[in-house]
Amino acid sequence: MTAAELPSGAKGALLDVWTMARRDLIRTMRQPEYLSFSVVMGVFFLVLFELVFGGVIAAGAGIDYDQYLVPGVLVITAITGALQTGNTLAVDLEHGADKRFRSLPMSRMAVLAGRTVADTIRNAVAVGLVAAVGYLFGFRFVSVGAAVAALVLTVGLGYAFSWVNAAIAAKVRSAELVGMLSMFWLFPLMFGSNLFTPTVAMPAWVKAFADNQPISVVATAVRALSNGADPGLSIAGSVGWIAALLAVFIPLSVRLYRRG
Amino acid sequence: MSAPVIVVEGLRKAYGDVVAVAGLDFTVDAGVVLGLLGPNGAGKTTTIEILTTLRRADAGRATIAGFDVATEPERVRRVIGLAGQAAAVDDRLTARENLDLFARLYKLPASVRRARVDELIERFDLGGFADRLVATYSGGQRRRLDVVAALIARPPAIFLDEPTTGLDPRSRLGLWEEIRRMAADGAAVVLTTQYLEEADRLADHIVIIDRGEVVARGTAEDLKKDLGRDVLVIHVTDADDLPRAAELAGDGVDVGTDVGHRMLTVQLAGGPPQGLDILKRLADAGIPVDDFQLRRPTLDDVFLTHTEARR
Repeated sequence: MTAAELPSGAKGALLDVWTMARRDLIRTMRQPEYLSFSVVMGVFFLVLFELVFGGVIAAGAGIDYDQYLVPGVLVITAITGALQTGNTLAVDLEHGADKRFRSLPMSRMAVLAGRTVADTIRNAVAVGLVAAVGYLFGFRFVSVGAAVAALVLTVGLGYAFSWVNAAIAAKVRSAELVGMLSMFWLFPLMFGSNLFTPTVAMPAWVKAFADNQPISVVATAVRALSNGADPGLSIAGSVGWIAALLAVFIPLSVRLYRRG
Repeated sequence: MSAPVIVVEGLRKAYGDVVAVAGLDFTVDAGVVLGLLGPNGAGKTTTIEILTTLRRADAGRATIAGFDVATEPERVRRVIGLAGQAAAVDDRLTARENLDLFARLYKLPASVRRARVDELIERFDLGGFADRLVATYSGGQRRRLDVVAALIARPPAIFLDEPTTGLDPRSRLGLWEEIRRMAADGAAVVLTTQYLEEADRLADHIVIIDRGEVVARGTAEDLKKDLGRDVLVIHVTDADDLPRAAELAGDGVDVGTDVGHRMLTVQLAGGPPQGLDILKRLADAGIPVDDFQLRRPTLDDVFLTHTEARR
């Protein structure tokens, strides 16, 4: 009776991440509401702002509101999709499912990394679906290349926020608490932003925050890519924000997870 | 004889001031089921957690198949299987998918994965529900899957932490069958339980712990024999005869009377001959008896004696 010879190190860890991601993707397919939640949120914001606030904002700011709004809605879709990383992880931790995993010959971070990878794949589908709905409203990308780049930035931001949520879940280990806590960062970031309206009319200190926080920076980059406009520093800024969030929250999540 | 699969020496663990495990020693050979028995809070789960690398001991040493749980946790994880109280199987997967998940995490090669999963489903009779989502299972089916998942990589050491807690008697019997098969296949099994009957039926060796210390150990038979005293239970016809009967049982003998049930219980330090002697004295004194019974000590008696003496 011998234990199977195991691929060690990085190769084994990657296998584990994929195994866990695969499991989470199967679960997601069995519960399509996970996918539909973020799609519905995106479409909800699209319809709400397009039909209810859009006329006033477009008239006041003198902009093509479809082109302005849809990039912001895509970012919202990715962020709300990332919320589910926290929820599902907290459920696993709450019920001790991860205890079993910790006794297995697998990479410890694969439980977290698999989850974030699966959520990111699901997020790419959700963002694509919402973009298709935006198309019906008249939103257009200037080129396929621009669309791909925009999708990568949007989903990349969602991936970074998956790790933010993973850290919160690893800390509090309660799905209910994770849901409540996420509102504290989600609403300020979502509304203190340029997602729905240009920031020109905001008080200076709000504008300073709203222009430079990660969600706005990515939305600005996606807007520039869709219009074929000069992105300025927004693409570099997006990549920088995503890298910074990952650099902080991956190690933090892993540390908090191990401590439990 | 080959070396024991599980070796535990002087294991200690405290949480702050509370000592959970206070110097535990035992070994488990291949093919043997060790029953770790104790009241709530005795340190059973902490012991399992240390042996399965989920916690670190403060002192002492434990090896599984020669690997040290403290210094070689990654190697240890390859040679153990753990099934716990919290069923870790995934609700939204089928039994087959859950087993496949564990097979992948143990890095079984793709070529044997499928066959191994099929083999376990067949062998442990999961076929009836293997392709249904776990969410639809009964508590017993779920727990069986949880235990079977621990076997996926044929680990030489298996840890079952109160595997039958909360199961109905029928499911418990089914699971017992499976645990016996694991040992028959050559695994060293550590089983924690609060059910004395379970330890009696399953465990080749029993270690009773209380407040983290071993208070008794041996086979179920040894433990009962060490306790020694058979119990003689006599029902007299007339409750008024009880005081006299108790007197006749002899001086310095541990006697209990229950007037309501017209019952006399005598702890027989001298075994069956002493019982015969007492019955004869009652007959000679003309005290009518409805019935009598000689009862062997049960594991309950052993357990209560060893854990209550310390309270």
